Amino acid sequence: MKLHEMGIQRLLRISSALVILGLLVEIASLLWFHPLAFVLFVFVSASLIALGILVYLVSLVFVAAPPAGSHKSP
Amino acid sequence: MSGLTGMLIAQIVVAIILASILLIRPSVTVGPTGKILAFLGLFVLPALCLVGGMDTQVQRSEQTQFCVSCHAMVPYGRSLYVDDPSYIPAAHFQNHRVPADMACYACHADYTIYGPLKDKLRGVTRIYMQYVSKPPNPIRIPGGYNNNQCLHCHLGARGFEGNPIHSAIMDSLKSNELSCVSSGCHDTVHNVAALSHVKFWRPGQ
Repeated sequence: MKLHEMGIQRLLRISSALVILGLLVEIASLLWFHPLAFVLFVFVSASLIALGILVYLVSLVFVAAPPAGSHKSP
Repeated sequence: MSGLTGMLIAQIVVAIILASILLIRPSVTVGPTGKILAFLGLFVLPALCLVGGMDTQVQRSEQTQFCVSCHAMVPYGRSLYVDDPSYIPAAHFQNHRVPADMACYACHADYTIYGPLKDKLRGVTRIYMQYVSKPPNPIRIPGGYNNNQCLHCHLGARGFEGNPIHSAIMDSLKSNELSCVSSGCHDTVHNVAALSHVKFWRPGQ
């Protein structure tokens, strides 16, 4: 499936889910004072957040936003 | 938990709330307000949380408690409390010649431009050894202890430069040809093998 076929709303959902998951892992890593918390943050949380941001930017660049009002049912 | 960590967590919670709105109703981005919301919730705030989190984690990783929380490092942490001034790390730690809460980092950090990055990579390698393979016993510093880590503080200090032994071998010390911790000099470092036979200092005694 090509990016423009996926639609901006689906990409936004993916981006949001990745960001939320990354942020939840970041909270866990901040509450846990241990060397593994550092690894958890760097390799899991940071990767998920960065990927979420990337998906959002991709949605802006490659997917045209639907015209205003298109989300309303006829 | 410090105040800054609390503020960071509060910021993360706000970012999660914004991202949740976009997850549940991505159609809000059709309007200009929704677009701003998406920009804040999926770019600005997560990026700030990422930078804040990295900063907090890096600062934490420089703390003595962080280093000694690994099982293999526990005896090295104990060696800081040996009641014997010939133990170099103990003498530095107990007399606050290095910040007590950053004792490991103060003496083991690589004081070069990419040093902090190299330190973190080495730290991750050690975590791998701790949890996946096996930590070496005794733990050794790859390439040996670098004199620059001592000279970073001692070079230029009156007590250090005024010592005739140091003056005589200064070039060898600066070039790392002769180690500060070599035999006959400051050779009692952590010496964890002998910890069962030594007396310990208790803070507040």
